[in-house]
Amino acid sequence: MIAQLRNASPRREAVFMAVAAVILIALPWIMPYIGGYRELATRILIWGIFALGFDILVGFTGYLSFGHAAFWGIGAYCSGYYLLHANANALVAILIGVAVATAVAILLGYLTLRRHGIYFAILTLAFAEMFYYAALAPLQDWTGGDNGLTGIRTPELFGVKLDGDEMHYFVAAWTLLAIYFARRIARSPFGLMLRAIKSNETRLQSTGVNVYRYKVTAFAISGLYAGLAGTLYALYETYVPTESLHWTTSGEVVIMSVIGGFGTLIGPMIGAGIVLYLENVLSASTEQWLLIQGLIFMFFVIFLPGGVMEGLQRLADWGRKRHESATEAEARGAAPKGASAPTAPLRQRSQKG
Amino acid sequence: MDIGSLALQLLTGLQIGAIYVLIALGLTLIFGTLGVANFAHGALFVIGGYLGWLISSTTGYWAAFILVPLILFGIGVILERGLIQFFYRRPVTDQILVTFGLALVIQEILRWIFGGSTKPFPPPTWALIPVDIGIGYYPPWRLIIVAVTIAIVVLLFLLLRYTRFGLVVRAGMHDPEMLRFLGINVTARFTLVFGFGALLAGIAGVIGGPTTAIYPEVGMAMLVPSFLVVVIGGMGSLPGAIIAGILMGEAVSLAVLLYPPISQVIVYIVAAVILLWRPRGLFGHKGVMG
Repeated sequence: MIAQLRNASPRREAVFMAVAAVILIALPWIMPYIGGYRELATRILIWGIFALGFDILVGFTGYLSFGHAAFWGIGAYCSGYYLLHANANALVAILIGVAVATAVAILLGYLTLRRHGIYFAILTLAFAEMFYYAALAPLQDWTGGDNGLTGIRTPELFGVKLDGDEMHYFVAAWTLLAIYFARRIARSPFGLMLRAIKSNETRLQSTGVNVYRYKVTAFAISGLYAGLAGTLYALYETYVPTESLHWTTSGEVVIMSVIGGFGTLIGPMIGAGIVLYLENVLSASTEQWLLIQGLIFMFFVIFLPGGVMEGLQRLADWGRKRHESATEAEARGAAPKGASAPTAPLRQRSQKG
Repeated sequence: MDIGSLALQLLTGLQIGAIYVLIALGLTLIFGTLGVANFAHGALFVIGGYLGWLISSTTGYWAAFILVPLILFGIGVILERGLIQFFYRRPVTDQILVTFGLALVIQEILRWIFGGSTKPFPPPTWALIPVDIGIGYYPPWRLIIVAVTIAIVVLLFLLLRYTRFGLVVRAGMHDPEMLRFLGINVTARFTLVFGFGALLAGIAGVIGGPTTAIYPEVGMAMLVPSFLVVVIGGMGSLPGAIIAGILMGEAVSLAVLLYPPISQVIVYIVAAVILLWRPRGLFGHKGVMG
């Protein structure tokens, strides 16, 4: 996947973005045919942005964060607060939300990235919970406490009310931008450096690279994406629930990314789509959606840790192998099977521990 | 504010800390020997709480006090044999993800069985009537929690210090690879340690449940501060977990007294300050009790 990205020509990239644009814009029209509703498409894109940015941190550097609800929630609260008390300008609201979320991400990154593996997961989880409880009681004059921020006005962009389809186009534009930059990052020397952190941080450190700075930058970028997604969510829902800061939000993005496949950029977005779509379809007939979601998540963690993308990759390899052995058999008569080319695992094993 | 009420509040802090200590000790034992951060430990605590509520409402509290930890031990052994053992050789990320998934699944199963509402889980009635303890009237239940925790800590110390099993566990916390080279069956000990950690979570659930209330999400609400206790104590350090647990309990308790809205945030502030000052925690290196 990444190798393909690095070799992509500008023309192929342009084709990819055009196809992505068509899919993103067409999604609300497809949804009703497969049991969804139009606004579900917008929701999927917003969570897709969140998962995409999350992948830049987790999929590339291997640092699993359990605290990205903090940036999503802070983005949502800040833009919601702006819309509630200032005016309906969507761009300013987004700018404020994203700026604050990124600033907090840099700060938390400095604090938590000193440790890795388990420590990092615990510390990010703990700091995000700190923001949740802070919003709940001590800051309730600003955050609305248990009720969240309610009665947010419909945002406007140059005088156009962002509602329904307009909101979807607005979110789709941001999603395209997010995908474009994520792919740029993946191709860049910076992206290569992040993957070097995942494969062997100590080795990279001993070559004289300031690993810490790269990690903080990656953390800040993923915080920026989470903040953007959070602000868009506040604009789309015109409501900020307290759950935006709760660990379930962090857990949700982890679940989406695992189901889609870490480290593939497109995988986590697909994961977001799968989770939200299944939630919508299954909650209609069962009250145990969360249990089903947990079981699906466990299935992927145990049997297919590379997610849907690894599944597709395996299917493709299997198909190719069958094809190859078939043509081989044709060429050589009844030659024995086996001795096929080893397939590179999609997901590298991390060395940390 | 007089000295008496301050002393009582400190005693309450000790009780809150005691629950953190029980959960954190299990986490530390499991992390120290198996190297797994058990995100499902809070869920085990809630199972303990629900079972305690169920058994005590049918056959009485003391039956629950004996049975629940034993059942949790069994659940721990089953989980380790059935699931966790397959993850020792997988990346740390996968270990975190699988225990996290387990926590979600257990939480949802509990919600399915018992519903999402809070269960009233009262301790024995005699334990609720405040008694005069010299500095004022105080409910004996909280004293019992502290006493049970002290007893557990002492037993754990004796177990680790004076038994062959304890020797192996301590050695395992120090250098599991070397232990394997010496021809000791580490795997069997791992299973017991995981079961033992679950047992501690069960005790925390059955004695702490009446003070924390029992509902499906309380597991995660207890797990996060307990994890912080483990981290600021210094991961893998048992004395660190005990001291950090008491510290956290007192911090919460004093916050309740001084400025209640901050009582749920204070744990994180204390943790942030300690980790800024000493990133590897209070008892930094992989310390072993004894």
